Amino acid sequence: MDDLLNEFLTETGESIDVVDVELVKLEQDPNNKEVLDNIFRLVHTIKGTCGFLGLPRLESVAHASENVLGKFRDGELQVSEHAVTVILESLDRIKEILAGLEATEEEPEGDDSDLIARLDAIAEGAEAAPDPEPDTVEGEIVEPTLGRPLKAGEVSLEELEAAFANAPGPEEMAAEAPAPASSGGGAAGGSLFDRVGGEDTLAVAAHLISQRLGGDSELSKFFAGTAADLRKGQFMGLMMAIFKDDIDAADNVARQIVTVSGFNDQHFDTLITLIKDVLVECQVDSDVADEAVMSFELVREGVVSAAKALAKAPTNKAGTASGASAGGAAASSAPASEQKRTSQSIRVSVDLLEDLMNMVSELVLTRNQLLQITRNMDNSELGVPLQRLSQCTTELQENVMKTRMQPIGNAWAKLPRIVRDLTVELDKKIELDMRGADTELDRQVLELIKDPLTHMVRNSADHGIETPAERMAVGKPEGGTIVLNAYHEGGHIIIEIKDDGRGISVSKLSSKILEKKLASEAELADMSDGQIQKFIFHPGFSTAEKVTSVSGRGVGMDVVRSNIEKIGGTIDMVSIEGKGSTFQIKIPLTLAIVAGLIVKAQDERYAIPQISVLELVRASENSEHKIETIKDTPVLRLRNRLLPLVYLNEVLGFMSRDEIDARENVDDFIVVAQVGAFTFGIVVDQVFDTEEIVVKPMAPILKDLEIYSGNTILGDGSVIMILDPNGIAAKANSGVGDHEREEEDERAQVRRAAAEEKESMLLFRAGGKNPKAVPLALVARLEEVEVNTIEMSDGRYMVQYRGALMPLIKAHPDMNLRTEGRQPVLVFTDREYTMGLAVDDILDIVEEELNIKLASDKQGVVGSAIISGKASEVIDVSYYLNLAFADWLRSRNVADDTVSTKGASLLLIDDSDFFRSMLKPVLRVAGYEVKAVSSAAAALKLMEDGYMFDLVISDIEMPDMNGFDFAAAIRDGSKWENVPLIALSALATERDVNRGHAAGFDDYIAKFDRETLLRSLAQQLKIKGDAA
Amino acid sequence: MNDIVVRDDLSLVRTGTQDFVTVVLAGQTLGIPVLSVHDVLNPQQITRIPLAPSWVSGVLNLRGKIVTAIDLRQRLGLPPLEKGKQSMSVVVEHKDEPYSLQIDTVGEVLSLDDADFERNPVTLDTRWREVSRGIYRLENKLLPILDVDRLLAFESNGKAA
Repeated sequence: MDDLLNEFLTETGESIDVVDVELVKLEQDPNNKEVLDNIFRLVHTIKGTCGFLGLPRLESVAHASENVLGKFRDGELQVSEHAVTVILESLDRIKEILAGLEATEEEPEGDDSDLIARLDAIAEGAEAAPDPEPDTVEGEIVEPTLGRPLKAGEVSLEELEAAFANAPGPEEMAAEAPAPASSGGGAAGGSLFDRVGGEDTLAVAAHLISQRLGGDSELSKFFAGTAADLRKGQFMGLMMAIFKDDIDAADNVARQIVTVSGFNDQHFDTLITLIKDVLVECQVDSDVADEAVMSFELVREGVVSAAKALAKAPTNKAGTASGASAGGAAASSAPASEQKRTSQSIRVSVDLLEDLMNMVSELVLTRNQLLQITRNMDNSELGVPLQRLSQCTTELQENVMKTRMQPIGNAWAKLPRIVRDLTVELDKKIELDMRGADTELDRQVLELIKDPLTHMVRNSADHGIETPAERMAVGKPEGGTIVLNAYHEGGHIIIEIKDDGRGISVSKLSSKILEKKLASEAELADMSDGQIQKFIFHPGFSTAEKVTSVSGRGVGMDVVRSNIEKIGGTIDMVSIEGKGSTFQIKIPLTLAIVAGLIVKAQDERYAIPQISVLELVRASENSEHKIETIKDTPVLRLRNRLLPLVYLNEVLGFMSRDEIDARENVDDFIVVAQVGAFTFGIVVDQVFDTEEIVVKPMAPILKDLEIYSGNTILGDGSVIMILDPNGIAAKANSGVGDHEREEEDERAQVRRAAAEEKESMLLFRAGGKNPKAVPLALVARLEEVEVNTIEMSDGRYMVQYRGALMPLIKAHPDMNLRTEGRQPVLVFTDREYTMGLAVDDILDIVEEELNIKLASDKQGVVGSAIISGKASEVIDVSYYLNLAFADWLRSRNVADDTVSTKGASLLLIDDSDFFRSMLKPVLRVAGYEVKAVSSAAAALKLMEDGYMFDLVISDIEMPDMNGFDFAAAIRDGSKWENVPLIALSALATERDVNRGHAAGFDDYIAKFDRETLLRSLAQQLKIKGDAA
Repeated sequence: MNDIVVRDDLSLVRTGTQDFVTVVLAGQTLGIPVLSVHDVLNPQQITRIPLAPSWVSGVLNLRGKIVTAIDLRQRLGLPPLEKGKQSMSVVVEHKDEPYSLQIDTVGEVLSLDDADFERNPVTLDTRWREVSRGIYRLENKLLPILDVDRLLAFESNGKAA
């Protein structure tokens, strides 16, 4: 079955069962807000998911119920028995549809209009009073005190209703219940035990019962799990307890006799009949037998509820296997399907799995230790049991790992959609071929590769695949193909992303490498095409020139690479110009246990993750492989290539280079490691073997040491460090001394501290040498416009863009548009206005603190800022928009009166880094001074420190102190009592808005609604100004 | 291994006295609140970590857990232990991470009266003042009390030390 559907069934099944219980609670306590909210939320979720999965029948029923619940919640309707009944009925309908869905994977046919009409009627308030008609079906369905209305099952509504019509009403049920109690009480006087015939008779009877149960077609399955002897004992005990009137003991025993879920009242009836027959056979007087059987009613509740609990236990999902003789047809089919679903999947908390994983890791360690010890013992008796322990441990480890495994298809799920959207947007024909979607890998790894994968597929679609016209021209089929392929290979997962597009042009790439000064011309000349192509993984190699709306917005392949390397994976690429590119990602199956190569340097052992080790080479003076030096750089000739080397002793600071060179009779081992495209050799003193090691993270105070990725405990109990080849490569590449490194660390720290204040800026050049900058958040798209499509109209440049005429403004009056080729254009969009800003070159996207040093009088410039070490003018987008649209500013002025509020200081409180950095430039460019903090507590601290703001914008959902509490705190006579407060929240229903106003917010605005926010800011500031 | 394990759940009756484990470091006796001590270990095999800060002497294996060993002598600006002698460890926890403080020897557990407690004298070496909660006046000597959290708060002052 479809995984999604399966999960939906499990989850909805759970929700429904909770709602069932909660509804009954609600009915008894109609004013319990908590219960009501819970029900509403659950039903809402069901509705939402149904809509998402395209299940119209379910959705409509859930929707109608939600309506009624919504009215309850808002206090528009009183919770009435009738309404609850109908809602319960709708839940049963949902269960019924779910059952059909599970059996056929399709929504069963059926008409719910009647039910929906009744729900709607209640929602309208028409039938708020209990249904006066006594003979309607729904009036009888639920006996509230029973708390279990209908059974789910794969039967049509008609059958179900017919069954209900024939079923005994609640009155009959009620009459039945007290009867056994009284008869049980009556039996107490004359000691039923003696009258039945004492222990001997019971022993015989128990034996017979036990045997017959085994043969009874209906009941045998419930008792199959218990051995006949045990069963006999159980019944013996049960009867003794019941007949001796020891109700507590009887109840205890009774709860244990059924070990299989699905045992319901009906089965109990059958069981009782069977017992009665046996008793009569054992020469028990038929009146006494009757009485005895009656007394069994005392344990009916216990047996049935125990059976129900059984059904619940494994999945936390209440079984519907219960009920009176009503709806027999439904009941018989329900337990079967229920069991099926139960056995298919169990939801277990991830924490539990993590714990389990940790325990297994420890077990593996201990096993390794034991193995190590016995290895040194001859003829040990431990050998054989240890062998078995070892085997079990391995299997256990594998199985526990499996529980954490998820098919990689989960990470691909949204790719077809992305590719489809891209084909439309880019006007290309692309087919996405996904193979090996059921290849499983650790969920932790899965989460981490999701984004890189998406990014790479986007890249392939955007940059890789050509337009149909281009493809035809080079003789390729019109439609391009992107193949995603995942498979296992030796403890690793290989994921390939292959396209048959244009490939990566070495010549273009080379010129860009030179332009970025990443390598010199001479260096490039020495490189193979493959090496040059691998520069796309180089940090700082932003493909800004190719930026489009789809990809290339600052997330380069270097980010992809570092993400993959973070999880111990590697990425490789082969690209043939004109033929296409293939990316290959190799990642470990799991992060917790890896194979590590144990090496030695200066009497200490270290582990190197096996995944980055390509081969081992032994080098000595006399052997074929010899370490040579070019000036001071050690290299190794390896199959006609020069391999740069790093001495581990030197990297770790054990020895200086002079000491290394001074050694005599050296016999070095070289571990050839690959980090991304960089292959190098690590020279170690000795190589031991490969061991499975359990990676333990470094202590927080040692996290800064980049050359270690963790530590581990070896089989002999000693702790060793796991080397991170990335860190070693970085250290080797940088070639800087320790002193410089420290400085670099400090700089890095400063950078980290400032990271929060950083903004992405787009750098471009237009007229003049100095770069200009604009916050990336303001740029809608980056385009390249064919120069010959630029037209003059009304003395202005225009270009046809997305089916409309877009004015094109030169970013600098002195600059000239290109005369041929393509003109780079930044597209800005504000409401219905779209304009293009023609620039000379798009330079780069940088993360910088937006610190405008000099305000400018010059039109079109907000001020100057130092970006990437250069003075750059930050342009004022509104100026250009105004140039493009004479009516733009006017519409603005009328709408929000921004001009008068320029320079006001704002405090922005939001716990989301993303949101803060998105909103800040928007507000700054609108002319406000913005201070952003991440929590209400930080804001209150500012208040205590004496800060004053003209206005405060606060998020609602924040950890620790939410927006409502914050507003209440501010409004409660604080220093900021009179500062206008604007709430900004993703939750913006009417109720939330009202709550916001009640808490003291002056306005309440939905997140992402920039227009309203700016307007409201202006309004609130104006109100404040007027009042002052 | 003669581990003395003091568990968190040993509740202390607050009667104006507090219990401290005393440790000796270069002749100076120091007190560590008994409740923050998880284990006391005999000399252990410690794996060095090249390139780590000097006050980190390495990592050790404590029943399958990796514990970072802190060279208390280095941390407090004392000369290193003479060659041939081995350090004992007092395992404490800081922010859910176990750390082992390398000390010369462990003394006894003392129950000290609050009345004998005094704040750090202003003239105390800054490095000591930073990590000392205060001083207990004992009959024959003075006992500075280590503040384990401040001692291990490397995030803020790690570079300086």
